Amino acid sequence: MAMRLMRGGALAMLVLIAATSCGRSRRGSASPAARRGVLTVSKEQQASWIRNFNPLLAPDGVRWPTTAGVYEPLLIYNTMKGEYVPWLATSYAWSAGNKRLTFTLRQGVQWSDGRPFRAADVAFTFALTRKHRALDLHNVWAYVDAVEAKDDATVEISFNRVYVPALFHLGQQPIVPEHIWKNVADPVTFPNEHPVATGPFTEVKVFQNQVYELGRNPHYWQEGKPALNGLRFPAYPGNDQANLALIGGEADWAGNFVPDIDRVFVKRAPADYHYWFPLVAGTVFLYTNTTRAPFKDVRLRKAVSMAIDRAQIVKVAMYDYTKPSDGTGLCDAYARWRSESAVAAGDWVNHDVARAERLLDEAGYPRGADGVRKGPDGAPLKLDVNVVTGWSDWVRAAQIVTQNLRRVGVAATLKAYDFSAYFEKLQKGDFDLSMGWSVEGPTPYSFYVALMSSHGVKPVGEPAATNWNRFTSAEADALFREFEATNDPEEQRRLQDRMQMLFAENAPSIPLFPNPSWGEFSTAGFDGFPSKENPYAKLSPNNPPECLLVLTELRPK
Amino acid sequence: MRYLLKHLGLYMMAAWASLTLNFLLPRMMPGDPASAMFGRFKGQLQPEALLALREAFGFTNEPVLTQYVKYVSHMLRGDLGVSVAYFPAKVTTVIGTGLMWTLFLTGFAVVLSFVLGTLLGVYAAWRRGGYLDSILPPTLVLLGAFPYFWLAMIGLYFLGFVLDWFPLRHAYDDALAPGLSLPFIGSVLEHLALPATVIVVATLGGWMLGMRNTMIGVLSEDYITMAQAKGLSQRRIMFSYAARNALLPNVTGFGMALGFVLSGSLLTEIVFSYPGQGYLLVQAVRNQDYPLMQGLFLTITLAVLGANWLVDIIYVWLDPRTRGR
Repeated sequence: MAMRLMRGGALAMLVLIAATSCGRSRRGSASPAARRGVLTVSKEQQASWIRNFNPLLAPDGVRWPTTAGVYEPLLIYNTMKGEYVPWLATSYAWSAGNKRLTFTLRQGVQWSDGRPFRAADVAFTFALTRKHRALDLHNVWAYVDAVEAKDDATVEISFNRVYVPALFHLGQQPIVPEHIWKNVADPVTFPNEHPVATGPFTEVKVFQNQVYELGRNPHYWQEGKPALNGLRFPAYPGNDQANLALIGGEADWAGNFVPDIDRVFVKRAPADYHYWFPLVAGTVFLYTNTTRAPFKDVRLRKAVSMAIDRAQIVKVAMYDYTKPSDGTGLCDAYARWRSESAVAAGDWVNHDVARAERLLDEAGYPRGADGVRKGPDGAPLKLDVNVVTGWSDWVRAAQIVTQNLRRVGVAATLKAYDFSAYFEKLQKGDFDLSMGWSVEGPTPYSFYVALMSSHGVKPVGEPAATNWNRFTSAEADALFREFEATNDPEEQRRLQDRMQMLFAENAPSIPLFPNPSWGEFSTAGFDGFPSKENPYAKLSPNNPPECLLVLTELRPK
Repeated sequence: MRYLLKHLGLYMMAAWASLTLNFLLPRMMPGDPASAMFGRFKGQLQPEALLALREAFGFTNEPVLTQYVKYVSHMLRGDLGVSVAYFPAKVTTVIGTGLMWTLFLTGFAVVLSFVLGTLLGVYAAWRRGGYLDSILPPTLVLLGAFPYFWLAMIGLYFLGFVLDWFPLRHAYDDALAPGLSLPFIGSVLEHLALPATVIVVATLGGWMLGMRNTMIGVLSEDYITMAQAKGLSQRRIMFSYAARNALLPNVTGFGMALGFVLSGSLLTEIVFSYPGQGYLLVQAVRNQDYPLMQGLFLTITLAVLGANWLVDIIYVWLDPRTRGR
């Protein structure tokens, strides 16, 4: 989901040339902001800033710190540890046959204006999302019946049906103060220019078109935190400009794609410049359209997958930042769930041209005289591979895919579209093969629901929010329903194993490689970043509210 | 005066035509804004919330004609609507963040380039075959053939990043608060230098060649010979007799070139992270943000029309014949 645009490589190329010719300084230098203890973050690519700190709107439309450092949720899911971190709530409990969820709130938390944080604020926040459907981003009111403040420290959520995965969205809902928001006429269009919140950084100190700066919350509930004096956000309109700032030592923390990072970035100041790209940002897929020939046939899906040389894709398109996917399609965020038997059953991700050819022959697509395979109806097997113009890593990957397919006699053509045209085709089922990202959540359940559940499937021609391959199976639906009803870890594991096996057997779409979670930092001015050696949280700033875990740990040197 | 008034009517017509095109063009693009919205939120939003948001954005399925009437009446009131990409900010607010900087950068660069190019053209023609005349035109034409953003990247990389002579980004130093203080103005000029130079270098050749070529033609006219015979000073002949007459085609070109320069400066802005309209336009197109696109095209159209109007006025002042009619 955190697929970044990787545009125009020209400047990146120049930087590359420079990196080889002048790797002189061994340490980075702390920027003037860093010397004041203010962390410079490169996040959101914009030419000028629009002031908007509304935490109830979708995170992409508002300034990044809104849900990463200003407003806070009840719980934060830590992807690296695979657990919920108590935040504004100290604990949660399921009861009444998993139809009731009770949060116990943290005592002594204050809003940044000094007023106490109470259960009424939580109930009010959910009441707002119920009243304004545009603010109910995850449609929680489809399964939630009521959210009530039992006393100042207890919130009780009752459900109209059992749906345990709801914890992820309910727990991570940013909470707003009732005493401010009850006076807001229209919370959907409210830009919230002066946020009152519980987070570590709540004061907007500077807001200009090309830079803004946040200061500390004087009433923050974590003793002695944050150690940073503030956050600073210069506007960088593109990846190239953001990377220049990172390499030049202006930005301390970023989540950019940097080509050939060891040479371009680290080598300039190996003592201070670091990166960590754990493979936890979902999986890049080659989606197959299972509603029509040839991909109605599972053998074709598997044969195409076997024809693809993932090792080459990883090397050429992804600078070796990742590895080939296995037959479960899961990225490393779910490493603790991975089922070895499903991995073994999913051997169709291994590059095996001979087997791919055999399978295609078997499926009734023999090679014609010109070397191109013909279908049962005698028509040559022609396929388009859709990709987004300018997403250079994907374009390179799709080029390799088409070459690989041509080797096994499939006439594959690369089709690059502008993003909105590409996405419309993907959603409406108007494609043969299309590059795409995966949907992520705390467990593989969310990942597989988006690939195999009949719930979101729309007829071809109507846009579907998920399940673009339009694969359905009664067995998968039953598994999902069972999983939604249980919070027993053993049972969950059993069900997740079966989901993985189902995926490995049916190959609803073709996983290519797990996506790296981009994150770079400079220790010239600050310490405490998560890293491979100290993986206490995701490094990448691309995933609020997990960034709260990082922002409260960072400290000036 | 009648000449100017007559032209005013023409401008109104042109403004209306471009307003209409402005309305039609985004709607002819492939893809629809609703699915672009889906894409922008990449699974962060459930379809139900999206449906509610669509209403808040003001997407409608009304007939195009009704939309058009609404659009025109809103435009006349100066209401450009709400931006989709920057929801819930108004289009006027979004454009306001960068309009001044774009006008400043483009205006400065175009005027400088025009004046400099024209002067160089005058001198080159006056000393025909001299050093200036034989070296500069081919060099400038060569430079002008490069796309703006390529020159901008080279400039940014070598003069900014490697040599560190110029700031790498933005319109002024981030540490300063905008205001009419000496350090702020100094900082603005410092940040303006490189992007403006790029635009000037890329456009100078055209002005110089145009001026030089017309000037050479004018110099062979009889009235120049007569002025020489009268014993007027060389300076006076060069500027008041030759250059003033040779300037006319270049002035016409000025109005037309503005549109090109504006689009070129948009790319230059992106390279230099200049807080102007350039990136906004990219964002608007990427998100199928009709209201923002319309707003941006409107400002560009108005700028070009305004410049042409200015050119007309200058024409009347330069060429007495237009006043007679």
